This record gives sequence, structure tokens and C-alpha cells, in this order.
Amino acid sequence: MANDTKVAAGLYKQTLLAGLWRENPVFRLLLGMCPTLAVTAAVKPALTMGLSVIFVLLCSNIVVSLMRNLLKPHLRILMFTLTIATFVTIADLFLKAFTPVMSETLGPYVPLIIVNCIIICRAEACASKNNLIVSIIDALGMGVGFTLTLCVLAGIRELLSTGEIFEVPVMPDAFVPWVAMSMPVGAFITLGLLLGLVNIISKKKRKT
Amino acid sequence: MLKIKHFIQQSWLLIVSSFFFGLLIAIASAAWSPRIEQNKIDKLNRLTAALLPEAKHFIEIDTEIEIELAKGKRKKIKVYKAVSDADECVGWSFNAAGQGFQDKIELVVAVDKDFQSIAGFDVLASNETPGFGDKIKLPNWRNQFAGAPVEELKLVKTGDVKKIDSEIVAISGATVSSEAVVKIINNSITQIKKQMQEKGLIGNGK
Repeated sequence: MANDTKVAAGLYKQTLLAGLWRENPVFRLLLGMCPTLAVTAAVKPALTMGLSVIFVLLCSNIVVSLMRNLLKPHLRILMFTLTIATFVTIADLFLKAFTPVMSETLGPYVPLIIVNCIIICRAEACASKNNLIVSIIDALGMGVGFTLTLCVLAGIRELLSTGEIFEVPVMPDAFVPWVAMSMPVGAFITLGLLLGLVNIISKKKRKT
Repeated sequence: MLKIKHFIQQSWLLIVSSFFFGLLIAIASAAWSPRIEQNKIDKLNRLTAALLPEAKHFIEIDTEIEIELAKGKRKKIKVYKAVSDADECVGWSFNAAGQGFQDKIELVVAVDKDFQSIAGFDVLASNETPGFGDKIKLPNWRNQFAGAPVEELKLVKTGDVKKIDSEIVAISGATVSSEAVVKIINNSITQIKKQMQEKGLIGNGK
């Protein structure tokens, strides 16, 4: 019995860490590229996006995990999309009601969470095959991993394009802002460099 | 009969959860829609107040104003009367919308009290290309409308942005978006002016 709980605890820890590093949705699975490139011009919208994704991912994983034994194989994608769309609509309404400015900045990217492949991927690969606890932990790991990645990317871009982080100026006065970093080209360059960096780090880790 | 049974067996979960999810959204929407509406009104008031600084509050006029859009469609327009502290009319504002480059552009337009010149406009909602079309939101482009006459505005490719007249200089790289804004303003403003004159809300300028 004690052995069982130990195995379970190990599994939970592994699931949680998978989303943060080993299977990080952006750096390792390369999923959800659309919001990653589009809303990372500044940290605030990136964080809002990340939190919305955590909410939707958590809710959809819980619902899918609860109904996993009732799913008909050929109708499962339909069920996933229906579940995801519901929670995205709720998140969208919430943002519109309580942070109208953020909702405007994010624009169509909030409704577009419906087709974010991370969420469908987790519903398909994890929640429809695992119990509730594993699904919740997986959602948290993946969601937090996604949010952190978005914030790192947004932090670099906001710092270089405006000299501010979280709208607080941090750079010395002599700093010349790189406007290009706030444009799509900045997103691609930053993402590419970060992907390369993550690849180098994980290669070194594998060798040791 | 067998077919119906098969159908129900396969899809009962889908049907049941559709109802359940629909209910969830309905509850969320019912709970938050007053707030969302209030946010929209607040934003409109904030934008209009910036366009007509003398105005202290806005009153929606009772008279129905309807304008004709492209392809013969008609749309009701809400016109607000801007009133100063001394209860004098200082201007009018209304919402206007039209097709932009990618999506609908919604504007709030303010004019002076005689409908002679435009006091300015602001963008309520738009989805124009970032870096190009969304420059319609920038003050230095919008400023060339402030003080422009109500007559037909014309879009030109080159010119002085600072000169206030009926010639509007297009944003380079975003001609479609600039054109859309000019078209929306032209189309709504002349029709509204005519109807307001007919209904005696403003003088006919003679």
C-alpha cells in the first residue's frame, strides 16, 4: 500500500514537471504557436493569456477526465471542442466584464483559445486516458509551463522594444528602444533564439 | 426505429452536455452582461468626452435617426447631445460603423453644435493589421479630422497632415483602412445632418 502511494506520488511529480520543462508545450512540443507569437509583445497581455489558458485547460481536463468512460471514439473530438468552447466563452465574457482593456488588447486571440492545440492535445493525450487527479496535475503543469514561457518571451520583447517590464521602466535613459521587437519579426527572432537555447541546454543535460 | 435508437445511443452524451454547457454560458452571460454593457458605455463616454472637452454629460436624443448603408441596408444610429455645465448644447456625437480592411470598424464621431465641422473621432472597435491599419487609432492621424468641415472628405495619398481641411492624408501602407474611416464618416455624417435638419434639431445653416 505504501509502495502504491509512493509510485503515485512519483507519477504526479513527473506529470507536473513534464509540462514545465521536459514536455514544455511551447519549447518542446511546439504547440500553441499562434498566441505565443501574437500576444507576447508585452508581459501583461501574455500573463492574461496564460491565465486564461490555465483556466480553460484545467476545466476541460476535469470535464473530459470525468466523462472519459462515456466517450464514443468517433465523437470524442467533437466533445473536446464543445467542452473547450464553453469554457473559452466563459473566460472571454469574464475578461470583457472585468478587464475590458486587456480584453481589447487580446482581441480575437481569446476566442482563438478554442483551437489552441495544447488544450485539445492534453484532452486527447492525457485527460481522456487518465484519472481526475493526474488530469488536474497535468493541466496545471502544462498551463503553468505555457504561461511561464509566454511571460519569458514577452519579458524579453517588452524590455527590448520599450525598455519597460510590466509597464515599469527599468532600462537606463541612454537605452534606444528596438521597435522591431514589438512587431511580428521580433516574436519570431526571440522564439527562435529561445528554442535554440533550450535545445542546447537539454542536449547538455542528456550528455551528463 | 432502430436508427433512432442507434443515434441516441451514440450521441446522448453530446446532446446532454450541449444543454448543460449552454446553461453554463447562459448563466455567465446573464451575470456579467450588465457589466460588459456598462464598460462599453463608460468607454463611449470617455472617448466622446475627450473629443468634446466642454461637454459635461451626454443625452441620447429621442428622435430616431436611420441611415442607409451600402447595398441598401438601413441602420438605426444613436445620436447623443453633448451638454455643457450651463445646459447649453456644445456638440453632437454618434456611433458609426463600416467595413474595414479585415473586420468591421466602429467609430464614435463628434461634431460641433451646428453640424458645421467635425470635432473628431475615435475608434471604438477595430481589427486592423497591427503596425499598419491600426494606425487609424493614433492621435496624430486622427487630429487631421478635428476641425475639418462636415462636407465630403477626400482621401489623398500625399499632403500635409497638420493642415486642417477636407483633404485627409492616407496612412502609407494602410490605404484601405484610411479609406474605410473616411467612407464611414462621410456616409453617416451627411445623412444624419440632413435628417436632423428635417426634424428641426439643428438649424439648416442659412
